[in-house]
Amino acid sequence: MTSPRIRSIPPLLAAAALIWAVPALAGEAVAVPRFVEETATAGIDTIYAGEWEFMVGGGTAVFDCDGDRRADVFVAGGAGTAALFRNASAVGGPLRFERLQSGLEVEGVSGAWPLDVDGDGIQDVVLLRVGENLVMRGTGGCRFERANEGWGFDGGDAWSTAFAATWERGLAWPTLAVGNYIDRNEEAFPWGSCTDNWLHRPAAAGARRFAAPLPLVPSYCALSILFTDWNRSGVPGLRVSNDREYYKGGQEQLWRLPPGEAPVLYGPSEGWKPLKIWGMGIAAYDLDSDGYPEYFLTSMADNKLQALADPGAVGGPPPVFADVAFARGVTAHRPYVGDTVKPSTAWHAQFEDVNNDGRADLFVVKGNVAEMPDFAAEDPNNLLLQKPDGTFLEAGDTAGVASTAIGRGGALADFNLDGRLDMLVVNRWRSAQLWRSAEPLPGRWLQLELRQPGPNRDAIGAWIEIRTGERVQRREVTVGGGHASGQAGWRHFGLGEASSAELRVLWPDGEAGDWQRLEADGFYIVERGRPAIAWTPG
Amino acid sequence: MTLLGRIVAPFVILVLALFGGMMGARAGDRSAVDPIRDWYRLTLELVRHTPTYSPPVASRAFAYLGVTAFEALATGDDRLVTLAGQLSGLEPPPSRGGGPAYDDPVLVQAAMAEVVRDLFANTGPTGQRAIAAFEKKLRARAADGIDAETVARSEAYGRAIAAHILAWSRTDGGAVVQNMGFPATYRPREAPGAWVPTSLVAQQQAPLLPGWGSNRTFAMPDGSTCGTPAPPAYSEEPGSAFYREAAEVHRTVLDLTPEQRAIARFWSDDPMLSPTPPGHWISIALRVLEDDGADAARTAETLALLGVGLADAFIGCWHAKFEYDLIRPVTYIRRVIDPKWEPILNTPPFPEYPSGHSTQSGAAAAVLAGLFGEDRAFEDATHVDDGLPARTYPNFRAAAEEAALSRLYGGIHFRSAIERGLEQGRCIGAYVTALRTRK
Repeated sequence: MTSPRIRSIPPLLAAAALIWAVPALAGEAVAVPRFVEETATAGIDTIYAGEWEFMVGGGTAVFDCDGDRRADVFVAGGAGTAALFRNASAVGGPLRFERLQSGLEVEGVSGAWPLDVDGDGIQDVVLLRVGENLVMRGTGGCRFERANEGWGFDGGDAWSTAFAATWERGLAWPTLAVGNYIDRNEEAFPWGSCTDNWLHRPAAAGARRFAAPLPLVPSYCALSILFTDWNRSGVPGLRVSNDREYYKGGQEQLWRLPPGEAPVLYGPSEGWKPLKIWGMGIAAYDLDSDGYPEYFLTSMADNKLQALADPGAVGGPPPVFADVAFARGVTAHRPYVGDTVKPSTAWHAQFEDVNNDGRADLFVVKGNVAEMPDFAAEDPNNLLLQKPDGTFLEAGDTAGVASTAIGRGGALADFNLDGRLDMLVVNRWRSAQLWRSAEPLPGRWLQLELRQPGPNRDAIGAWIEIRTGERVQRREVTVGGGHASGQAGWRHFGLGEASSAELRVLWPDGEAGDWQRLEADGFYIVERGRPAIAWTPG
Repeated sequence: MTLLGRIVAPFVILVLALFGGMMGARAGDRSAVDPIRDWYRLTLELVRHTPTYSPPVASRAFAYLGVTAFEALATGDDRLVTLAGQLSGLEPPPSRGGGPAYDDPVLVQAAMAEVVRDLFANTGPTGQRAIAAFEKKLRARAADGIDAETVARSEAYGRAIAAHILAWSRTDGGAVVQNMGFPATYRPREAPGAWVPTSLVAQQQAPLLPGWGSNRTFAMPDGSTCGTPAPPAYSEEPGSAFYREAAEVHRTVLDLTPEQRAIARFWSDDPMLSPTPPGHWISIALRVLEDDGADAARTAETLALLGVGLADAFIGCWHAKFEYDLIRPVTYIRRVIDPKWEPILNTPPFPEYPSGHSTQSGAAAAVLAGLFGEDRAFEDATHVDDGLPARTYPNFRAAAEEAALSRLYGGIHFRSAIERGLEQGRCIGAYVTALRTRK
């Protein structure tokens, strides 16, 4: 593993070439990052292949598999073979990846999530499949081995499509949630055949293996699930986004998971309101700095952005959400290039600050299910930049990332460690695509990697707070959501013009770390109970 | 893993019914009723899962599917009278000729498969896969025991009937639906009583299918034939008729009884989450026909007439909706009475008056009463798969009136839209019951 080194990075200067998009109101300009597509030269050429059984899925796992703190890339291959690529990009340079033989060359993979299951400091990978799911133990040096038997993981035989992980309070082993889709054996009448989602809890307190999976009944064809502390109670709930195409009597779901007890669905008695969408992906972020995450839910035509209806309620907020997508300008319901009026189809979604202005932006991967003629065939991915007033501005075309390939999964990550987020999109029937954020941004940034002792080494469930002046950015450290795609590694924050920021971590058990000031434009290893340590890529 | 393969019970029942013992009561008895019922069951599901299939579009599909089945049989059944010359623009279908025999189950199967494949050409990959699987199995079942020459001849004739109906369908004005029926741009009329968008869905900032009322009708002369009187004049004065109707909706929703809430949910019939309101009445008809052990001719006759009635109802209703362009209760009540009021149903994205469910239920009840009698009781189990228990009705009119009132309970329609809608539906239904189907 690379040794951390103290470093000092000079502030980036705004380039004259940078595009400024100026909305109607003065003072609301947002910087549009410029991306350069490097698909042809980056070395990642995996196609998400297959027919009906692979119409959903198509994910990527982005994580460091060889200890150099660069984001390596695993891409699901669907009916083809999945592949792992080692990141060989120079700092600030073009994106370069090298295909490895890793043990992850598996067929039938729909999605993948990195997760240090056994807490050994090496990322493991959970592979969701059309067929048996696999937990693959990382052995170092980007090598992996099957661990289903060793860890007591029953991979089943379903059409698995969604994944999330958490560490329940006091347990030494993670709890995994697997979302399953329709019964793939039902050729003539698949509607109403949603198969059970599974909750893989630890076998017992202190056990380092999984119990037999618990069915999450009812299940409604989940395409994205996320453990998230939606009400800041300290105990994450399980948010499930379901595809209404196939369920009967279903809706979106939020499970309560009392420690050691059976999961319980929130319902009308708590204020939960039915929402029925073609749920395909979840992205979460505290966009309005009220301390609670908002949830972007991808679908067909209009997408949803949910905010708690009453965050200040006495006794804690009820699970009642208002749809603010229209007000915020993120319905993203129709292509923004070309002349089609047909609606869009959205899959992976992710909030990240792509222009380093201190406000989370929204990346949405789009693509027709197959050849559905009523939906846009040329359906560009979205890059929605958040403006100072909290609304969003579409910049996919001006940023150079308006691909109209049939997208599914994706990731925003700083592949070349230059402080700017690059983009990866996994496509159905076409090669995955890569874009490098290629020009300096006026905003400054921080990237953080959390560490704590014990089994939950990467502090899944923590909250990171970044304070600049009066403003606090908050994000929850989660594993799950998106569409078939997961990430581990650096957590990126834009800082705008601030030359430094204060950091505080609320660790998964609720303990609040001290505020500490960090200089902008740096990578920091944040270990619990210790001052953050700067790390310099090299 | 024991968790795998869990299938909800209704689904199992349906699959068994389709490919196993659905026609158990007639075991060994080949009948064209089998492919008719099976294709309708799939169609109800395709309507639910094909995004362009809003209620008006669904009603159109049910009309063409029913007429296909009826005409396919009528050309070979001396008891039946073709609808050609009775329905607008429908020319006589190709005749069977006086040659070798045809097999009705085979030809009806082939005709319906062709029409379903065409009407739902835009459904998603799962629907396409299901259509192909259905056709393969239903075709094999229909042809079982029939000589190859008869099968080929019957299938060719079934396809010719389908081609004839589909060619007719292309010119009615409803064949092309873009952007799920929502215009790309729309400027609301500037008047206090005019409809304005009620949804936070961007696509629904324009009303659904504003030109649908100009489509060619089936049994009545045109979309304006059964026009409704004007609704109460818009007013924000507390004593006005308009205000009183809005106050009734406001109060009703606030004071909903459990039974009223159940009724609102039962008839909600939301697009993409149900077979839609016309599909609900098709489901009722299928149940009644099954209870009667109806033969193929009776089944096709019923489904054709009901489909035609539903389709004309939506054309007539839409014609009136865009003539009066009326504000929805949620807009008025929040503006004038109670800014925080919430209806319990999603307000549909088009003008209020008259109520579409009321018009089409009025028409459906008139058609079914004409076929089965004014006092035919029945059970409606349309939404059992979705967890809504079956309801029973003493007659079709009672069901239609409940369906209409459900829109008041749901908070999406004023009383005038409901009552005038039912009247409009009955008027449209009378044109359908006047059609001659039997000698």
